[in-house]
Amino acid sequence: MIGIVLVSHSEALANAAMDLALQMVHGARPPIRIAAGAAGGFGTDATAIASAIDDLATADGVLVITDLGSAILSSSLALEIRSSTHQVVISDGPFVEATTAAVVGAAAGGSLADIAADASNALSAKKTQDETGQVSSSVEDTGPGSPVVSAEERLINPMGLHTRPASLLVQMAGEFSADIELTNTSSGRGPVNASSVIGLLSLGANKNDRIRIDASGSDAPQAVNAVKELVLEGFGELS
Amino acid sequence: MSETLTMDAIQQWLHRFASEITTQADWLTELDSAIGDADHGTNMVRGTGAVVAKLNARATGTLQELLKAVGMTLVSSVGGASGSLYGTFFLEMGRNSPSGVQLNASELEKALRAGVDGVVARGHAAVGDKTMIDALEPAITTLSHSLADGRQLHDSITAAAAAATTGRDSTEPLVARKGRASYLGERSAGHIDPGAASSAILVAALAASVGEGTAG
Repeated sequence: MIGIVLVSHSEALANAAMDLALQMVHGARPPIRIAAGAAGGFGTDATAIASAIDDLATADGVLVITDLGSAILSSSLALEIRSSTHQVVISDGPFVEATTAAVVGAAAGGSLADIAADASNALSAKKTQDETGQVSSSVEDTGPGSPVVSAEERLINPMGLHTRPASLLVQMAGEFSADIELTNTSSGRGPVNASSVIGLLSLGANKNDRIRIDASGSDAPQAVNAVKELVLEGFGELS
Repeated sequence: MSETLTMDAIQQWLHRFASEITTQADWLTELDSAIGDADHGTNMVRGTGAVVAKLNARATGTLQELLKAVGMTLVSSVGGASGSLYGTFFLEMGRNSPSGVQLNASELEKALRAGVDGVVARGHAAVGDKTMIDALEPAITTLSHSLADGRQLHDSITAAAAAATTGRDSTEPLVARKGRASYLGERSAGHIDPGAASSAILVAALAASVGEGTAG
């Protein structure tokens, strides 16, 4: 599991962002360290960031998530003065959204590269919600030779595919080796990879939207069934 | 004749920097209250005070060790962008200093150039962005030109300090393009940049210390 370092000018802000993100995690929590504040006030401290990174030296890489300007500057200095040598990526994603994407992705066992991409792209879901039409989404080629198993279901939970169900889906997707993609066929958004909470949110899927599930890989039938079940159960949100 | 800057002169420089920062702390904070979060004076007093404490506590080592210790102290005690930027300045200076306990004029020039380049690389700022670089870049350029013209180290550093002051004043009409002040846009114009002001103090303190520690 990758580790996460939250770099903020404010310790209260970092703690709140961490708690908010951890609400989405229902199993093992990823290791998280907070490097926030400087000299007893608002600010960022490169030496504190460096020791937070060093503290996570046994993780499978570390994603550093930053708030305002100098947080990035201090983090880049921290990479120079740290004593560990494991892989570290400084995210350019927005603080709260990137923290959520990273915590959920890390808990689901995602790789540093995938989670870093997800965190960096974390504003896209918010942008999708603002717009009323054209969304450019990346269509990935599943590749020839891998048979695709598909199903299509209607969302029945009142809030649609919001963050909690999306993170449940990400965790479930992590249990299968199959590549799972979801498309909102009602709006034409997608397909997006089911291992990305931000991708799933960018579907902007509301109640009654139809969702197509495509999976390819050795356990694709089981994966499609599992996702279908989750949708049919309303992600456990039906009262 | 070769002029050499001793460890004593470097320590003098740092002590003088600290005392000048303390003297001008209210002004630095006032500048920062116009376009920032009103803590530059306080932060720099805390940081340079920690440097002085470090200098007083440590045994004399090499120049590289001294400058590295100064850099790390500033990083952890100033806080925020200023801590990382001043820290980077001294860390890069140390990395690019000779291994012994003194610097000749061209070695000092090389170390200072590396320090300024480090700040540029860290903050991605250029002259005209209303930052420390507006004072530091003209200072190091002036120093290089003056030394190349065959002038003495003391005269050259003095000219560099004057260039830093001119550079500091040049930030007044500028619109900030880097750092927290950049969020203010046009409203940042009409005020001297606090980082450029403390940088000019840094160069002036060096000029005042060069005469004392040079040996012919």
